[in-house]
Amino acid sequence: MDPHPTSSSNEPKLRDHVYDGIQEYDQKLPNWWLFTLYITIVWFIGHWLCYYQLGIGSSDQDEMDKVIAEQKAARDKQTENITDEQLWAMSRDAKVVEAGKAVFMTPGMCVTCHGTELNGMLAGAKLPGLPLNDQQWKYGGTPKEIFNIVRKGSPDITKGMAAWEAVLGVQKVSEVTAFVLSHHHEGEPITKAPDSPGAPGAAAPAPVPAPAPAK
Amino acid sequence: MTSTSATKVPIEFNDKVVRQFMLASIIFGVVAMLAGVLIALQLNFHQLNLAEFLTFGRLRPLHTNAAIFAFVGNMMFAGVYYSTQRLCKVRMGNDTLSAIHFWGWQLIIVAAAITLPLGFSRGKEYAELIWPINIAVAVIWVVFAINFFITLHKRNEPTLYVALWFYISTIITVAMLYIVNHLSIPTSLTHSYGIFAGVQDGLVQWWYGHNAVAFFLTTPILGIMYYFLPKAAERPVYSYRLSIVHFWSLVFLYIWAGPHHLLNTALPKWLQMLGMFFSLMLWAPSWGGMLNGLLTLRGAWDKLRTDPVIKFFIAAVTFYGMSTFEGPLLSIRAVNALSHYSDWTIGHVHSGALGWNGFMAAGLFYWLAPRLWNTKLYSVPMANFHFWIGTFGILLYVVAMWISGIMQGLMLNQVTADGLALKNTFLDTLQAIRPLMGLRVIGGAMFLVGWLVMCINLWKTIRSGKATNEVREVALLQRDSSQVMGLGETFFNDPLTYSIGGLLLVCGWLFLPPGADVASLICACIFAFMAVKRFQKAHQTWSFWYDKLLHNYLPFTLLTFVAVVIGGLIQLIPTITVNTAKNMEDRIQKLYEPLELAGRDIYVSEGCYNCHSQMIRTLVPDVMRYGEYSRLGESIYDHPYQWGSKRTGPDLAREGGARPNSWHYEHMMDPRSMSPQSNMPSYTHLKDKPFDQNALPKKIAVLTQLGVPYPVMDATSIKMKALEQGAAIAEDLKKANIVVRPDSEMVAIIAYLQKLGQFETPAIEETLTKKSGGGVPFPLTPVNPDKARSAMAKP
Repeated sequence: MDPHPTSSSNEPKLRDHVYDGIQEYDQKLPNWWLFTLYITIVWFIGHWLCYYQLGIGSSDQDEMDKVIAEQKAARDKQTENITDEQLWAMSRDAKVVEAGKAVFMTPGMCVTCHGTELNGMLAGAKLPGLPLNDQQWKYGGTPKEIFNIVRKGSPDITKGMAAWEAVLGVQKVSEVTAFVLSHHHEGEPITKAPDSPGAPGAAAPAPVPAPAPAK
Repeated sequence: MTSTSATKVPIEFNDKVVRQFMLASIIFGVVAMLAGVLIALQLNFHQLNLAEFLTFGRLRPLHTNAAIFAFVGNMMFAGVYYSTQRLCKVRMGNDTLSAIHFWGWQLIIVAAAITLPLGFSRGKEYAELIWPINIAVAVIWVVFAINFFITLHKRNEPTLYVALWFYISTIITVAMLYIVNHLSIPTSLTHSYGIFAGVQDGLVQWWYGHNAVAFFLTTPILGIMYYFLPKAAERPVYSYRLSIVHFWSLVFLYIWAGPHHLLNTALPKWLQMLGMFFSLMLWAPSWGGMLNGLLTLRGAWDKLRTDPVIKFFIAAVTFYGMSTFEGPLLSIRAVNALSHYSDWTIGHVHSGALGWNGFMAAGLFYWLAPRLWNTKLYSVPMANFHFWIGTFGILLYVVAMWISGIMQGLMLNQVTADGLALKNTFLDTLQAIRPLMGLRVIGGAMFLVGWLVMCINLWKTIRSGKATNEVREVALLQRDSSQVMGLGETFFNDPLTYSIGGLLLVCGWLFLPPGADVASLICACIFAFMAVKRFQKAHQTWSFWYDKLLHNYLPFTLLTFVAVVIGGLIQLIPTITVNTAKNMEDRIQKLYEPLELAGRDIYVSEGCYNCHSQMIRTLVPDVMRYGEYSRLGESIYDHPYQWGSKRTGPDLAREGGARPNSWHYEHMMDPRSMSPQSNMPSYTHLKDKPFDQNALPKKIAVLTQLGVPYPVMDATSIKMKALEQGAAIAEDLKKANIVVRPDSEMVAIIAYLQKLGQFETPAIEETLTKKSGGGVPFPLTPVNPDKARSAMAKP
């Protein structure tokens, strides 16, 4: 390798020193490159000034808390008017039940733990979920109670079921509830499981009264 | 000054160690890439998690460690040893040290390859190796450093070429990062707890992790580029002053960018902001390196057609430019909200690792082999084939990961029309990216095929030649005493005064209370203006000073250390010294019971963090899917922290209590029974293996020493507690007709999973300091910009 390439007239000046045959030009820094550097520095200063010194923009936590509160209010509004009667009525509506069944039977959803027969069994083996086709309800068996369990999960910290409202939305939760209720009849007795929170083995409150027309 | 008049002596370079490192790098390159292809396949075909030691969670650390430390590490040493000797015109400092360095490093790699599949892990990315190996790494690194600095000391070249600047920064910075991030207290020969926990651990980890990329995968390779690219192109380097500006800005800014791995998490916002903005400011300095590489080729572009070495170098530099543009982009908090935890990041690191490191390595080896074995390259067409299949492989890989990452990110964020429910389950999104994960395997395999072709090509080349050590007539250097720089001149001069002064003022702006902060910023601006004026007037003196500095390797090293240490100090000290209770945001995690601690260590050792995060970010889709956003206090006792950096599976921060024990049992035995089409490995081996109860007392003692406020318990009661809790879980499982040993690892990991996300909200401050016997290294109350901000918002 030739350590001293002949420089043509328009070539910039080479530095004197040669390192193992390597020479160096000393070209000016490209302007666009410098501007990139300056712009990012100015952006830093401007953004920090706005956030910390001028107080513009809210903190991540405040923003999140606001959105969560809004969502909660909207959900509560959607669910506040849902009554046992409505849920019973939905459970007799074939279309709603079919929609609920579709959600229930989706792999990875309810069917995983409660089984295709809703008996909490799969081929004779016990699944993690409780049976939903009998009259024993660990966390209460009124339509609204079932609805709320699906929405928010079970209150028991280590043995419970997950909350599904954020995943499914209120609409689908009510459809799934209707599908579960379609295996039951209004007025059938509701017993609590022996390990229910509250009175063990105690009977549930009186059966729900007569149905009301659907929404 | 010139040394042409001095006496000449023949010098034989130590090229043997270069050959050794080169061959090691080639072989470990194959290993690392094979492991990569295997784990990529495992993500598509869970059946390939063949045995307990071959699960994804254990092999992924093997892949990353092999790629970084074995493949690129050995390549870097080959390049450094070859070029340093020639740039210093002297044989490498000490042959024994060179040999110890080589064999010691290979022993470390072998030790890593054995311990990682066995499940010995510290549970932090690229820092998984256990403490005895950590010590070995530190020792060997110091051996390398001594050897390198002896070479600089006895050099026959008056000044330091830019490649050496990069090597110097590599050596000192990696030593600093590695030692701090691996500080731990052993509980046994194979296990230790790191001294940092929770957010502190996360911050230190990514200060290290990000700068492992910066100072292990970037700066040494830039140094190699600065030597081998102009050599191969036979053209002068484009710009010396660009070298200066981009070197100093790069090493100074890089260190600050670590927190961009923790954006939108519970990390204090000021750190997130620093991480984001320093990453953006890093864009130009990184591109400075690319420009100096690409523009060096001006006037020699025709070589791109004929010379495979140039092809590889230019493609590598282009990939470097691409990934250093992508990096700052991904560091923008809004972009990161989508990209983080997804395959986009995986694509990003591979455009760096395969494109930049892999191709630089290939170019380097094609250039070195004929010279080290005194022969000609066996086949240029084979090298060209390697180039093209490698390039298409990387592109396929990267594009597949872009699409996968963006698609999964968008799908995870999709909500129903009313905005109140998520549209897709996590499993839905996994199914959607499966074809892309398949394409990634093909892309990676193509790169591996190219690499294997190179192996054959180089093997044939080596067979056709004979190992030769270059001997050169070298003029001995006459030391010029007028060029010796003392400490005073090193530190008291215009460039440094303005830099340090400006930095202090900027820090005042960041940390001083309201009022003083803006004053400090105004002073900083005035000071910067003065600096510019001064530079315009006296730039000659500035460049004379710098030229003189280049004659003095110790002052140069000292200044480099100052540049790299500042960012770390400013970011880490406030978080590390603050009383942990101040970091908790009104929540404090419940202490792990002994059984849960045993379960946690199994979680760490199985490498669950490779696929599961434990950090719900302050983002609406995260909160909707996983529950309330994570608070700092909820991981305050986690040694190591497990926030994670990739979600191949869902987040687990609030997994505790969400499902029954029996669900977890079934899911561990066969994930697909509970989550159809999941790609998680089965963990059947946990069922019959008893957890190590005898290790628990020592572990709890060490954690207490580290400030976790465990009540006083003797060894027997610790074991009893663990067994009692295990029995309770086994009893509960029995109700579901599941029979499992109460002292099994399965029970322990279920206990841990059920604990995740449990916290208390007590008035903790006094009790915490009392119980932990301090936990505060020294009583420093760091100023926190976020504090000033919340004070501003209150009234």
